[in-house]
Amino acid sequence: MTRLRSEHRKVFRFATALSAVVSLALLSGCKLSEVFNLSGPQSTMLTAGPVAKSQWDLFMVTVYVTTFIFVVVGGVLAYAQIKFRAKSEADEHAEPPPQGHGNPLIEIGLIAASVGLLVIIAIPTLRDIWYTHDVPEAEKANAMDVTVTGYQWWFKFEYPTEMIKLPNNGGEAPLVTGNELVVPANVPIRVQLRTVDVIHSFWIPKLAGKVDMIPNRANFLWFKADKPGYYYGQCAEYCGESHAIMRFRVIALSASEYVKWLNNQKQPAKSVSTDDVAANEMPHAQFASLKLEDGSALSGSPEFDANPLEGWKKQQLPEAGEKADQIAAGRKLFQEKTCYSCHTIRGHEGIGVAGPDLTHVGARSTIAAGVLENTHEHMHAWIKDPSHFKPGNKMFFGGYNTLEGDVWKPNPKLQLNEQEIDALVTYLHSLK
Amino acid sequence: MAEALAKSSFTGTRHAPAKTFDLFPRPTTKTGLIGWLTTVDHKKIGMLYGGFAIMFFLIGGIEALMIRTQLIVPNNHFVSAQLYNELFTMHGTTMIFLAVMPLNAAFFNLLVPIQIGARDVAFPRLNTFSLWVWVVGAILLNIGWLSHFVPAWKFGGAPSMGWFGYAPLTSRAFTPQLSTDLWVFGLQVLGVSSIVASLNFIVTIINMRAPGLTMMRLPVFTWMALVTSFLLILALPAIAIALLEVMFDRNFGTNFFEVSGGGQPILWQHLFWVFGHPEVYILILPPMGYVSEILPTFARKPLFGYPIVVFSGVAIGFIGFGVWSHHMFTTGMGTIATAAFSIATMAIAVPTGVKIFNWIGTLWGGRIVTRVPMMFALGFIWMFMMGGMSGIMHAAAPADAQQQDSYFVIAHFHYVLIGGSTFGLLAAIHFWFPKFFGRMVPELWGKVSFWLIFVGFNCTFFPMHFLGLNGMPRRTWTYDSNMGWNAGNLFASCGAYLLGIGIFTYFAVLVYSFFKGKKCGNDPWDGRTLEWSIPSPPPEHNFASIPKVHARDAFWYEKTNKEEIAKEKAELIKDEESHGGIHMPDQSWYPFFSAVGLLIGTYNMAQIHLPVMFGGKEILSSHMALAITGGVILLLSCYLWALEGPAGYHIHLDADGNPTDSHGGHY
Repeated sequence: MTRLRSEHRKVFRFATALSAVVSLALLSGCKLSEVFNLSGPQSTMLTAGPVAKSQWDLFMVTVYVTTFIFVVVGGVLAYAQIKFRAKSEADEHAEPPPQGHGNPLIEIGLIAASVGLLVIIAIPTLRDIWYTHDVPEAEKANAMDVTVTGYQWWFKFEYPTEMIKLPNNGGEAPLVTGNELVVPANVPIRVQLRTVDVIHSFWIPKLAGKVDMIPNRANFLWFKADKPGYYYGQCAEYCGESHAIMRFRVIALSASEYVKWLNNQKQPAKSVSTDDVAANEMPHAQFASLKLEDGSALSGSPEFDANPLEGWKKQQLPEAGEKADQIAAGRKLFQEKTCYSCHTIRGHEGIGVAGPDLTHVGARSTIAAGVLENTHEHMHAWIKDPSHFKPGNKMFFGGYNTLEGDVWKPNPKLQLNEQEIDALVTYLHSLK
Repeated sequence: MAEALAKSSFTGTRHAPAKTFDLFPRPTTKTGLIGWLTTVDHKKIGMLYGGFAIMFFLIGGIEALMIRTQLIVPNNHFVSAQLYNELFTMHGTTMIFLAVMPLNAAFFNLLVPIQIGARDVAFPRLNTFSLWVWVVGAILLNIGWLSHFVPAWKFGGAPSMGWFGYAPLTSRAFTPQLSTDLWVFGLQVLGVSSIVASLNFIVTIINMRAPGLTMMRLPVFTWMALVTSFLLILALPAIAIALLEVMFDRNFGTNFFEVSGGGQPILWQHLFWVFGHPEVYILILPPMGYVSEILPTFARKPLFGYPIVVFSGVAIGFIGFGVWSHHMFTTGMGTIATAAFSIATMAIAVPTGVKIFNWIGTLWGGRIVTRVPMMFALGFIWMFMMGGMSGIMHAAAPADAQQQDSYFVIAHFHYVLIGGSTFGLLAAIHFWFPKFFGRMVPELWGKVSFWLIFVGFNCTFFPMHFLGLNGMPRRTWTYDSNMGWNAGNLFASCGAYLLGIGIFTYFAVLVYSFFKGKKCGNDPWDGRTLEWSIPSPPPEHNFASIPKVHARDAFWYEKTNKEEIAKEKAELIKDEESHGGIHMPDQSWYPFFSAVGLLIGTYNMAQIHLPVMFGGKEILSSHMALAITGGVILLLSCYLWALEGPAGYHIHLDADGNPTDSHGGHY
């Protein structure tokens, strides 16, 4: 057997030291506490409802049990590694130790102990499988139904119990919104999970673990928000090119605020008449190409992130000094550029169901499925080049561009200049 | 011995009909391209598997580093979303089917016949067939990459629907690319290769053990090879059916998974994981075997609780077929099914834990010699324990609802598949390198690479537990900077570079050792099993005489009972000569030709509806004719293969064990 020569030992120690230094540098370079951060907006630890809490508590049971096993077994292993190490070259070439073959009693004891430890995990597991499955009987009467439908790559939310009169034909249909689910706090919400294309998965980490949205399958989940708040969610099943940016929000409101929101949502799109043209001081946005400083977020500015629920509430209020002429121009463009064939603006134009309902888009805190904060700049940049933010999206492939043979060609009818986009943005932002 | 020498020109009686039909005469050259293409020697086949697998391991590693580079900072644009999806799809597919599985196959080939005291596998030409069919599968899976370099080849890039290919994303409506069809065929072909190879190894292990080598004396690695082979032949038909159904949906308008036709995408998940979960054990059982060989060697005492280690391996194999739906806890299976699979998953942790207890028992009271293979083996135990612990966490289904498809899962299975499978394989490569190349790997550089890999690996994957718990979903091309994931991702990416440097060092050292390593004898590690009793590298015929096995650690027994064995050996050699010398199988062209036929057939079948273009002009309206041509080549090769007869030749040895007349009895 070859043994490390002494001069090699030095090099070896140096290499070990080097890798230790490199890893230490790594550790200090990016603040260690940040690496093990569990306080993000999609933390599964900082739960905000009973379902997520039961899941985290169960997780912690598994953590305690497995940590115990790891410490005990690892301790024995470490002890054996140190205690029975060949300490010198002579040791390595000494007579082999006694050739023992095993001990059935030890084995059986260890198997029994492992089974016992697993039972500790199994009992709360079974309890929580039933608890997290559906709204508890006692609360069923109080529960509220919503239906979410996954599209590549956004979410449609429907309120089947909130029927609204359609403005044009006198029919009725459930209230529809997109990418932001608004619910009352402290009410169990039973979410029907549907999809129109591929499999998606509905996940709001702080409120509930995920359940998949599978074609031809009637899945559901339930959650309850303990208190009003602004919660982040995301598609958790790979669903194609822009899976990474198929996001959504859940906004839980107090009962009175929820009713207020609901009543506003049930109204058809707001019209701003030219009479409203006041001496508005709205600063004209500088629609330069979107440049972000390194590390800044697309989905929320620091001011917004500081208190997202307040940010969302502010978004509900009409903007100061709306320009009626701009808005009218935007509404006209919405027609001319055939935006309505995919998007609905209830009470104005629109019959489309392929894209999100825009009836109250101005009141949403995000656009493009939770990817961009709903500011003028962002919406301008999004309308200008949606594929920059969401590769493969159907507004770009199918709207702005059409397929000829196997090549995508720009659709000349759908090209917009900067002024036109400004008008569209102003119009869409007036829809609170 | 003298008598044996006197008879050395004796060629024995012919076992096969003298007249066979040879359209392509059986090659006799052992070297050069023809030698390697037509070889039936299990050691050369093992080397080819190993070489290709390491190549794909490095390719898969580069894909991983590109993924980590894209994620190093939020909102990064290092690669496009589409390319990122191709990278993670091919990283998974490559590492599982083209790196870890064939590396295990390489060791099956290199070691199983020698550990059971045989001269080759039961069906040597079939073994060659498995190898080249595997290469066909590898080509089909990876050919899509060429589109990125030659845009005129319209494969649509590499496959991009994930290694798990969940329907209906594999439907033509969502992935119209040709590469998806090639992926379907590629996996199917790899399945053929694995089933053929597994049957070969099952027959070999059951029928070709040396006298005295009872099942309960088999080396643990060979036991695990046997269990793995059974898992493969039972698991692969499930995915074969699923892939066939996708192929029909994509090409012939059936509705197995087509939602608009009432298809059930959930069916794919069940079929896929009925294969996919045993597959996990297919990846981990052989490395458990390597570790069970390496630990006793360097602790210098036998494996603790051999029967229980073997039994737990078999138990894992059985229970492994009953836990597939724990990959589907979030698909809305309902309470009863979720509970059943949850409990079954906890149950499988028991035999897995038992193995760890026995490995520790092996170390206990031993004299641990810390060589590089031992370091990787110990690393395996530690890291596999980590992966096992997070595995138990997943078994609690409600908790898994938060972890499923998050980075927590990525951390878990990389601890099992890198910390487990790959550490086991890296240990095995270091351990058996001297046996098959006759040269030692320098300890120093081996240890440097170990520490780089160990530190790099943990820096990469440990933070991912926290990323997952902090809500980061997997398979995401990018992430926003206000999610609290920035530092974890930066750290993981730096760790990945360190891991990359470690892996590079590891293989660079092997290349160096191949040319410049210190030469070694039969038994550099004081080994315990039969492979250490023969020269390094082993001769073509492995054993001068088929050994008689007296105990579980056969070679350890030989070393401790030298006189008895020496006498017995002389008798055995004499016996063997009296039977006409050492009978060896002949090489053949047909396994290679049939694989070529399969390549032509499947490549064209995948694009059967597309016209054949040449120089910008359409020369055939569909690929049907070419697909049929490939099929005909395949069938014809198999037919001619059957006609060429078994054949073979005899080797006669001189007193030093060198062949005197290797083609004396060629017929």
